[in-house]
This record gives sequence, C-alpha cells and structure tokens, in this order.
Amino acid sequence: MSEQQKKTFVVTRFDPDVDEVPKTQSYKIPVEPDWKVLDALNFIKDNVDATLSHRWSCRMAVCGSCGMMVDGEPKLTCKDALSDYGDTVEIAPLANFPVIRDLVVELEGFMEKFQSVKPWVIRAKELAVEEGTTRQSPEELAEFKQFSMCINCMLCYSACPVVANEPHFLGPAAIALGHRYNLDSRDEGAEERNEVFRGEGTVFSCSFANECSEVCPKNVDPAAAVNQAKFNAVIDWAVGLVLPRGGK
Amino acid sequence: MGRPAHPQAMAPSRPGSTRTAPPELPGQFPFAGRYRGYTLFAWTGVLYLLLGFLVLRVVWALGESPQAFDSVIASFRNPLYIVFHLLALVGVCFVAVRFFWLFPKAQPPRIGPAKPPPQPVILAMLYGLWIGVTLLLSAILAGVLF
Repeated sequence: MSEQQKKTFVVTRFDPDVDEVPKTQSYKIPVEPDWKVLDALNFIKDNVDATLSHRWSCRMAVCGSCGMMVDGEPKLTCKDALSDYGDTVEIAPLANFPVIRDLVVELEGFMEKFQSVKPWVIRAKELAVEEGTTRQSPEELAEFKQFSMCINCMLCYSACPVVANEPHFLGPAAIALGHRYNLDSRDEGAEERNEVFRGEGTVFSCSFANECSEVCPKNVDPAAAVNQAKFNAVIDWAVGLVLPRGGK
Repeated sequence: MGRPAHPQAMAPSRPGSTRTAPPELPGQFPFAGRYRGYTLFAWTGVLYLLLGFLVLRVVWALGESPQAFDSVIASFRNPLYIVFHLLALVGVCFVAVRFFWLFPKAQPPRIGPAKPPPQPVILAMLYGLWIGVTLLLSAILAGVLF
C-alpha cells in the first residue's frame, strides 16, 4: 500500500491580544487526493491546532464565506482543489482587508460599501396587491442575471489594485450589484444609484485591471458591470444636461 | 508577510471593538502573475508623456522657422530616437490590444431601445477600424494619397 501524501501548510496567524503583527505557522499533515483546500484547514483545526480561526459554512461555493489567499491568489477554498498545489501551500487572509484573527477578515467596511449602492428594487409607487405582480420576461432577466450570481465572497476586493490604494472606492461587488438593479426592468431607482456612481471613489476610480473578473469563482464578471455602469452614468448625466428638465 | 496596502483599505467607518492587523497588498502585485500586464499597461503612460513632449518640441520648431522644423525632423534619425519610437509603437499596440480585449464587455446591454452588436462583431469592428486607419495613414505618409 502506498504511503499517504503529506503537504505543508504555511498559515498566517494573528491573535489581536498577543501579536503586534501577523506571523506564519507551518503544519505538515496527511492529505487525501480529493481534498479541497478547506478540507486541509478543517483537518488542522480538528486534529492539530484547535486555536486556528477561519470562516466557512456551506462547502459548495454558495455561501462565499471561505475566501482566502492561497499561494498569493484569492480563492474560494471550498472550490479550490488541493491537488492543484505543490507540497507547500501558503494560506493567508484575504488581501486588502483588515484582519481580525488568523484567516478571518473584517467585513464591516464591505457591508457599508454594499449598502451605499441601494441593492434593492426601488419603485416610484408600489403595486397594490390586487394589481398582481410586476412581470419580467426571460429577455429582461437575461440582461442582469449574470450580475446577480454574486455570492459576496469578496475575492474581487482582494484582487483589486484600486481597492488596495483608494479606501473610498466602492469596489467591484458593490458596483456590480448596484448595476444589476439598474438593469432590472422592475426597478426605477437607476437615477439614485447613478448619482452614487458619479460620486467620489466610485465607478470612475476603476482602472479596468480586470482582476476582479479573473478571480471571480461564479463568473459574475464584475469588471464588465463596473465599466457598463460608467457608461450608463455618463449617458444619464449627458441626457440630464442636454434635455429640458433633465429628460424627465 | 506581504507589503502593506492603504491602512484604511476596506476599513469600516467606525473601528470595531477588536484590534485588527492592517490590510496587505495581494502578494503578486505589481510585478507577478496577471498584475504584470496591468502594471506594464500603466507604465506605457510614461511613453505617452515623453511622446507628448516630442510633439510639443516639433510644434515649437514649426512655429520658429522651416529650418528649425527640418532640423528637428532630421534629429529623429538618431538611433536613440528610432529605438524610442519603436518602443512607443510596441506600447501603443499593447494598449490597443488590451483595450480591444476589454472594450466589448464594457458595453451596456442596451442604450435606450438600442442594443449593441454581439461582442465578436464589436471586436471585429475595432480591429477593422485599426487596420483601416493604419493603412490610410501609411498611404498618406508614403505619398500614395494626397
């Protein structure tokens, strides 16, 4: 019988009560051929070092909890096969985020950015119950469906060079979500959101590095959303400038 | 450990009760992995800045006298200028190809009632326009037209 393969995991550790700065700790553990990176972390947590902190939940690339840097790239660890890596794997918390503990990052800043784009259907007047539902054709759904597949894993924020350098930048996922509602045929809030998009640190801060789309585990293509939102924000502004009463 | 990102990157507007470690840049930024292409793209800006100065120099000489203009044009035969212009050509081609790669997906699904053509068609139009303009300018410079 062949000997079970072992891999070394170099994991970033940070205890806010003890450590001034994050450090790394190595764990050499036996691994199975079908493991994902998350399986290795769970093995360490369960069998080697119970003090290791990391987020995870669904294990099927739906909840977006287990995003981490694996060998320097933002990855969803429940989706990322361990067999794609060498004998030593470096695991760190998501780049561009403050770190609360070990592999757990601070999400509050992300949630604030998210809220600022008003990610809900805005209606000028709600339909009365007896008027029925607001209907939407498959063609209308197709216009934004791709952008609604985001699972908020924040890998795009971790890959974005603008997020790293401009704290006010709304970032890929938030803008993609705002754009998703702007494209929704049931929504009437595009004007409000475009007002947000034209503000400081929004769509025009994006330099189209396209990294957000490269790392997205759900193929949402946030770079397309951000740059489409740029286009729409300019059109909206120009229409308001040229037409009387802002084209309303 | 990696290099630090902006200390306020992704920080909440009000700090939480737990002390946090400052954010770090992605490990591959700016010269490794896919960031290499993005960084090269950004650095082509330096080439355009230098080209801008050259254009200003030519315009300035044009305003001085025909002799000054001829002298500036003659100076471009210097091998250093030739190398610089070749570099600028490579830079322009690189930026054009990158722009053409990204431009189609930046088109919104519709502008009013109008829908943009499919992405491959937009791409073909961009390359067609590029080749057409290049041929036109080449013909003018070679004296075939005008």
